Amino acid sequence: MTKRKTAKTMLVSLMLVLSLAVTACGSGNNEAAEPSATTAATDAAATTAPTTAPASEDGLYNIADFSNVKTNQGEALEGGTLNYGLVSDTPFEGTLNFNFYSGNPDSKVLEWFDEGLLTWDKDYVYTNDGAATYEVSEDGRTFTFTIRDNVNWHDGKPVTAEDWLFAHEVIGNPAYDGPRYGSDFTNIEGMEAYHDGTAKTISGIKVLNEKQLEITYIKSTPSLLTGSIWTYPLAKHIFGAMDVAKISASPEVRQKPIGFGPFKVESIVPGESVVYVKNEDYWRGAPKLDKVVLKVVPPTTVVQELKAGNIDLVDSFPIDQFPDNSGLSNVEYLGAVDRAYTYVGFKLGKWDAAKSVVAPDPNAKMGNVALRKAMWQAVDNDAVGKNFYHGLRWNATTLIPPSHPEFHDDSNPGMPYDPEAAKKTLEDAGFKMNGEFRTNPDGTPLTINFISMTGSDIAEPLAQYYVQSWKAIGLNVTLEMVEFNTFYDRVGSNGEDDPSVDVYQGAWTVGIDVDPQGLYGRDAIYNFPRYANEESDRLMAEGVSEEAFDVEKRKEIYKEWQALMVEEIPVFPTLYRAALVPVNNRVLNYAIGDGTGIYLNELAVSADKGIAAK
Amino acid sequence: MWKIIVRRLLIMIPQVFLLSILVFLMAKAMPGDALTGMLDPNIDPAAIEAMRERLGLNDPWHIQYWNWISNAVQGDLGQSFNFKMPVTELIGQRMMNTLWLSLATLILTYLIAIPLGILSGRFNDTWGDRLITGYTYIGFAAPLFIVALVMLWMFGFYFSWFPTGGSVSPGAVPGSFSYVLDKIYHLLLPALSIALITTVGTVQYLRNEIIDTKQKDFILTARAKGASESRVYNRHILRNSLLPIAAFFGYELTGLIGGTIFVESIFSYPGMGQLFLGSIVIRDFTVVTAIVLLYGIATIIGSLLSDIILSIVDPRIRIK
Repeated sequence: MTKRKTAKTMLVSLMLVLSLAVTACGSGNNEAAEPSATTAATDAAATTAPTTAPASEDGLYNIADFSNVKTNQGEALEGGTLNYGLVSDTPFEGTLNFNFYSGNPDSKVLEWFDEGLLTWDKDYVYTNDGAATYEVSEDGRTFTFTIRDNVNWHDGKPVTAEDWLFAHEVIGNPAYDGPRYGSDFTNIEGMEAYHDGTAKTISGIKVLNEKQLEITYIKSTPSLLTGSIWTYPLAKHIFGAMDVAKISASPEVRQKPIGFGPFKVESIVPGESVVYVKNEDYWRGAPKLDKVVLKVVPPTTVVQELKAGNIDLVDSFPIDQFPDNSGLSNVEYLGAVDRAYTYVGFKLGKWDAAKSVVAPDPNAKMGNVALRKAMWQAVDNDAVGKNFYHGLRWNATTLIPPSHPEFHDDSNPGMPYDPEAAKKTLEDAGFKMNGEFRTNPDGTPLTINFISMTGSDIAEPLAQYYVQSWKAIGLNVTLEMVEFNTFYDRVGSNGEDDPSVDVYQGAWTVGIDVDPQGLYGRDAIYNFPRYANEESDRLMAEGVSEEAFDVEKRKEIYKEWQALMVEEIPVFPTLYRAALVPVNNRVLNYAIGDGTGIYLNELAVSADKGIAAK
Repeated sequence: MWKIIVRRLLIMIPQVFLLSILVFLMAKAMPGDALTGMLDPNIDPAAIEAMRERLGLNDPWHIQYWNWISNAVQGDLGQSFNFKMPVTELIGQRMMNTLWLSLATLILTYLIAIPLGILSGRFNDTWGDRLITGYTYIGFAAPLFIVALVMLWMFGFYFSWFPTGGSVSPGAVPGSFSYVLDKIYHLLLPALSIALITTVGTVQYLRNEIIDTKQKDFILTARAKGASESRVYNRHILRNSLLPIAAFFGYELTGLIGGTIFVESIFSYPGMGQLFLGSIVIRDFTVVTAIVLLYGIATIIGSLLSDIILSIVDPRIRIK
């Protein structure tokens, strides 16, 4: 179930974190983080009571006990240098422009010196607090954006509507070599014609004046407000004269990257470290810190670096190292619910490559919903979370994780663990015991093939637990552990599903928009169960229709969809996850997660050096 | 002599060719490719297919191989999918780091091996010798990556004597003297970790050679002539005992390659080894094949170098 660490790294590196995408990930551990500590630090911050992680009973933790906002200790110093650890096994790629990057590490480097023109709140809806504001027309298709007057590039030139248009033109250019061009862009009027070369300009985008841009989308959907707008301008005065295919390799992207964020890049050692200095001209106000030093830290040594105080902050922390280090005296752990879930999927059909739709097979081995239901009833995911993850992963109930509190249906209990009920479900559906195992209702033997990903130490024991749980209700399940690439090959990431796979355990990182069509839509290749249902289609379509602009209505729709999935069980969610990030006690004004209203320019430190663990 | 070298170089050509085919086929046999990890509903599967087509990943292997090898012969090893830059440029960046690391390791290896070997051989079967041989046995038994981790923890974190990662401090300005010092400071600990392990073989060779040589007749003669003990050891024994060490030099270079792969990962030192492991994980084939090929060539050259050195220093085994 757990994806291997390496595979994870690879996956993450390919994941477009900011593209709001739904992304596959192994159910593995998110490895990342470093401790830091040095000597010294006898100031106020060091003498205040150390903040430790929330107390645990029986070694169990609960994400509800963690805050996502750092408790400030001591007074902010004027200036100071903050050390940031980018936790990764590999160097960052160095494509340092939001319009071109593809690896997660690069996005972490980018966040310090560049940002999107729009910000979003805790429900991931665009706000008017960012570098630009927006207005939507009556029909919900035309957006008018106004960039604030004091938003300037690091070289002093203003960020203009022209730059924003230019970003769209570059991404829409057929020579563009980044991964951004997709449905978000084809939903702009005239974009496809521009991409094909039949139009010289994008008819849907108009520059109204230096600071105002108007974009008309083909289809109005609530998803537009939760991440479907491309908000990263591209400095035309720098890249305008370049050949589009050569921009991503240019020194202006790799060595001297430019943005309009709170810090400027001072120097880069490719793949290893970046030094930033404050951008006095930042539109939200000059940052409190003088400098930020970013350094790549491997997950194996991150705890040591944190302990020594060499590193104040990390982008992510390997959660399996948390229980042993929960008591570090010099850091506070911030926690948030991860936008991800682990699940067990059932193969219910094939991929029809010619038509690009799923082709459910009514006679599939796993086609009987009673069988799927019994398999869900038979597994105790609450115990899995406690025993394997110290409570930092916990029983999942629906296919919209609680990281989306607006849409996650708390009242839906999912499927309670009840092996007796599972047996009864099977019995009633005609799966009778014949010797050690049950047979199909027609009396033929039933052997279920289950595949799961290798990776972390607990990947196999965990998969074995599921197999045993299913054996306990009389199902003959054979387990095969496979490596990440092979796993997704066989599950059908290329549309060529391996017919020998009946059940698989995977995981998804979900986008900031809740729309599940990319994973469960009829035409989604990532709909690995190959499941389709008219009712589900209808609900998912309604979820992105115009009437869903009404949040209450949209909640209603997705509540219904979650209930339908619990009834139909093309897949069942197993675990939700926590993300933890340790922060040195000297750090002030920091928070993880979205919509906290705390921005990087306010980040400060209360001591000259990172505080070391006692 | 020259004939031999030329002949060996000629033999290298089919060797490298065969190696390149093997490397290429093995890379292709790995499940998945650089695009497999792009499981992202926001990216149109058709766009990914188009990218595969553009990268030639759908062609039969011999066509892919031909495209690759014909470019490689002209010095173009392709484009890294992950880093979006030419492989030659990418490897060039990393190779310098690895070269410096290897050089430092080599120097440290001999700095440790020669005194220890001499002491151990000259005073064999004393407590000092037992201590040294004891160390060599531990060295043989201890896996490099464990030693490296322990070194990192002890000298990097516990005593904070050395930096704990990277090849240079953030913000150092290339070209200055302090920049060079900073680089040396960064590679000292990883180099020492490898040297402590790789040196044990050399210590043992040297020890055995010295013990062997000091029982030879000509040593007896030298002593009989009244040569001082230090002259006997420094002039007569040591010179003869260094032969196999010199011959071993080429293989030592080859062995370093294996060592740097692990150590670079542990110390997050951005050299070729780290790039190699990372590229395998994300299936960046162009980089993987290029690096394996380079490693292969380095190995072949290393053994050639050994043979040449051997034939220079020891006329007895000169091949005609």
